[in-house]
Amino acid sequence: MIEMKAKIERAIYEASMALDNNNWAGWLSLCDEEFNYKITAFSPEINKDMIYFEHNKGELANLLDMLPKHNTDHSPLFRHTSVYTVDVSESGTEARATSSVVVFQNMLDGVNSHLDSGESRLFLVGRYHDTFTITDGVVKFVTRETRLENRRLDKGSHYPI
Amino acid sequence: MPARNHKQWTANPPLKDGEWINSRIYSDPEIAQEENEKIFKNMWVPVCHESELPAPYDFRTTSIANENIIICRGPDNEVRAFLNVCPHRGMLIERRPSGSFMEGQASGNPKRITCMFHAWQFDMKGNCVYVAREKEGYQDRLCKEQVGLRRLRCEVKFGGFVWINLNDNPSVSLEDWAGEPFECLRKTLDEEPLEVFHYHKAIIDTNYKLWHDTNSEFYHDFMHYHNRVTGFNDAYFARKNEAFDHGHVVVGTFEVNYENYEGFESRADLSFPHLPPNQWYMVDLFPGFNFNLRGSALRCDTVTPLGPDKVLIEFRGLGLKSDSPEDRMTRIKHHNSIWGPFGRNLHEDLIGVAGQGTTMRPDTEPRRILHGRQENQTIHDENGMRHYYEEWGRWMDRSPIAPDMPFSDRDDGSQVVNAE
Ligand code: FES
Ligand SMILES: [Fe+2]
Repeated sequence: MIEMKAKIERAIYEASMALDNNNWAGWLSLCDEEFNYKITAFSPEINKDMIYFEHNKGELANLLDMLPKHNTDHSPLFRHTSVYTVDVSESGTEARATSSVVVFQNMLDGVNSHLDSGESRLFLVGRYHDTFTITDGVVKFVTRETRLENRRLDKGSHYPI
Repeated sequence: MPARNHKQWTANPPLKDGEWINSRIYSDPEIAQEENEKIFKNMWVPVCHESELPAPYDFRTTSIANENIIICRGPDNEVRAFLNVCPHRGMLIERRPSGSFMEGQASGNPKRITCMFHAWQFDMKGNCVYVAREKEGYQDRLCKEQVGLRRLRCEVKFGGFVWINLNDNPSVSLEDWAGEPFECLRKTLDEEPLEVFHYHKAIIDTNYKLWHDTNSEFYHDFMHYHNRVTGFNDAYFARKNEAFDHGHVVVGTFEVNYENYEGFESRADLSFPHLPPNQWYMVDLFPGFNFNLRGSALRCDTVTPLGPDKVLIEFRGLGLKSDSPEDRMTRIKHHNSIWGPFGRNLHEDLIGVAGQGTTMRPDTEPRRILHGRQENQTIHDENGMRHYYEEWGRWMDRSPIAPDMPFSDRDDGSQVVNAE
């Protein structure tokens, strides 16, 4: 069990590293075929739970393939992830985990790159709520909900968080 | 033309007056302050949607031109607006963005708007109903009847948006001001109640007018891969840009081919009432409010200028209140795919105006901004912006090409002044 928890933590950290490196294929390879990804937030302004983004694995792969056709802010994102809880089901085939995540934007473009490039700014604060399947000791993400505290998103992003 | 020297660069372009403007109107702190006084304090502003305060005693707070505002729904279901300022010593009465006065607050009672500072209380009509130790302190010199809140003009209209005007005597009624541009969507928006499902905000280092320009010009579809592949066809290039009184513009509809973008789907099944499938209407209201209906979802942007080079933009997404959970989910997905903070187009639009904001920040050298495309008032014609800046010139009594000169109309709508 302890070993399985360590494996799940490792999957979460590997996902963070893949995302930090814009290694989309690497990220998706950690995900089950049924993978569903969401970015959500609660807005006290409109008193509603909101979904800012929702895609399955195929849709995500499409979208990420399409990125070179879109104009995107060039500043890389860096995640600081801490796994808070991991719970493995009794059967040992499923698990869920909650992590805290803080995302920094390392400015490349900024507003004026002459001034801003090289600076790191707090970009987003939230939690990862993940679920996993475990098959023959291999851990795969089945769902990830990136639940943000932010409703001010300025330029937003074309990247999964 | 080869690259130009300073004299060539700052010379007037070979276009008619009105087909270009002076970038100083995007940069000058004095002009920005004057816009708040002359325009925003006299304008109908869509501050929120009625579904954000669905029940009696619900409230929302906002601000227009630096004035703090509270909007609440009374037990009679009427939505009213007041300055969010205590008549006693000027405390901000309600500090949260939203909530319900059904809950009592630390200093006051349920069903009251309470100022936490010295516990004065107001009802949902803005009457002062309680002054702590009133007689002891004011004897007969001042009583609660004399210290009500400042009420504001407030109407719920055009699809349930809450419109406020800080001027008690607006130069034109809300209906006369925006009725005509909304005519194309009136039946669609008023057939049944709408509901907000999306809210987020951006604070961008740019001038608010640049955001509105981007919302009203479609030439920038060259920046959006999505719009190029789903749009560029004969029907798209025939879309009309129609100007209305008071500086408004409506971009006419056409049928969007969403399937042309890998992974996107038609929105035909969830069209808003009375609309043929996959239509796309855009209503741009002077000086910075945008209603954008892409078949299955409505988006509304409102700007709050924070200076010459800073603007708060609030983004809302709306569906039908009667939506089933599945339909709502589909609408949200359609909305997010292009307009969400992680969607295809919004990010590009915001990068665009931020870049303009960078080159036009205060103390940069004024230069010429071209609004001179003439294409028979179709989609890439820049008549929307030309129309907007004429209205701007009237409100400000400043020429958009020479901001120190007064604005003057000529018969052909262009201006007689020369550049500075
Ligand atoms: S400032 Fe509001 S009660 Fe005194
Ligand atoms: Fe755009």
